[in-house]
Amino acid sequence: MTVAAQIRALRSGAVVGAGDHLACVRVRGAGAHDLLDRVSPRELFVRSGQLLHTVLLDDAALPIADVYIGCDDDDYLVIAEGMSGPAVADYLAAHAHGLDAAIEDTSASHAFLCLGGPYAWEVLAELTSPDVIGLPYLGFFHEPRFSCFRAGKTGEYGYDLWVERGRLAAVRERLAEVGRAFDLTEISADGLAVAALENWFWNPRRDVRPGLTPIELQLQWRVTYGRTFPGSAALAARRSAVRQRAVLAASAAELADDAAITVGDRTVGAVLHAEWSPTREEWIALALLDRTIAHAGLAGLVAHTRAGAAPVRTLSAPAVNNRSLYVDPQRHSYATRHLETFAPLVRA
Amino acid sequence: MVDLRDLEAQVAAREALLGRLRELLVERLQLRRTVDELDPDAPLFGSGFGLDSLDAVELVVCLESEFGVRVGDAIALRQVFRSLNTMTDLVLAERGGRP
Repeated sequence: MTVAAQIRALRSGAVVGAGDHLACVRVRGAGAHDLLDRVSPRELFVRSGQLLHTVLLDDAALPIADVYIGCDDDDYLVIAEGMSGPAVADYLAAHAHGLDAAIEDTSASHAFLCLGGPYAWEVLAELTSPDVIGLPYLGFFHEPRFSCFRAGKTGEYGYDLWVERGRLAAVRERLAEVGRAFDLTEISADGLAVAALENWFWNPRRDVRPGLTPIELQLQWRVTYGRTFPGSAALAARRSAVRQRAVLAASAAELADDAAITVGDRTVGAVLHAEWSPTREEWIALALLDRTIAHAGLAGLVAHTRAGAAPVRTLSAPAVNNRSLYVDPQRHSYATRHLETFAPLVRA
Repeated sequence: MVDLRDLEAQVAAREALLGRLRELLVERLQLRRTVDELDPDAPLFGSGFGLDSLDAVELVVCLESEFGVRVGDAIALRQVFRSLNTMTDLVLAERGGRP
């Protein structure tokens, strides 16, 4: 199935895909909280059963992983994208001096499945129980077959299922059975990445360049200034020296990574990461522009690719008017979706 | 062809509005952030700035009292209150592009 078909299914129904891009590390011990507090750029205020969305930074304040930190009774879970499980464990161990903390990478024992879409909650309710409908965003629970994290980076209802590898086939099989009534569609890693860009979730595999900190990437909401964490000094110094900012851009013509962007005869930035957006039916990109003009709603920029000059305009994020904003589990159902009128997926 | 001066004029209009919206978030919603930390595309609700439904009511009041913009219905609200940029888009559209 094409990525375009996968995205159409994601935006209108429900999809499931392997979460091989995710790793989970468990931290136990009396020093678990203090360890996570040391490395979290965001104030670690999270109750048991809740996730905190932040990043891991290197000493130069460059984001190296997109992470959720979960409090699981006395333990903490770190769900990471952009670093392998062993790399996350090594990063934590490097900051654990003097603390009683046992760090366990679970990559060998567990895997993730990513369930998403405006009706993903309904698939999950069939798989588990209707109680899951009340699971808040960034909440999680454990059940005998898996742990379920309400997260995801598609802009739709999203659930990352953390499954013991020995149970993975059985969970997959059961999902396929209950998913038939919802036309549950398989989504690939490429499909998930396109969906993330449509909703502008930072992609730790693509949106990384020397000198790009959370300030340039508009990720300051994942940081609490005034705290000490890896990269905090570099980030504080950066605040007064920001020259560029990432913005969403779109074009009817093909865009390409690293294409220079000009206004008139002046180069004002470059494309960081471009994809065809099946939802918008045009090319979209994360573009790094000079700070003075790095704003949404601008037209008249030009990206220079091997195919030629592509007219570019900038957009407000997200680039999609997600149906999950309008689908209410108390009122709606996949079976009766044709009887409903929803707002268009692309804002006028 | 658009030149940099044309673009800078468009930017000035957006920056003026964004600046006021940032101030309102800090002053009226008591966000524990400084205005330069409020990235224009960051999510307002959920994991972003962490606003809730009471804050949404305050934002509706702010849009009307500060900018004379009324948001018609709940569906429109969901589109508008995704980020500072989507709020800015609405105000600019209602004012014909003037800050």
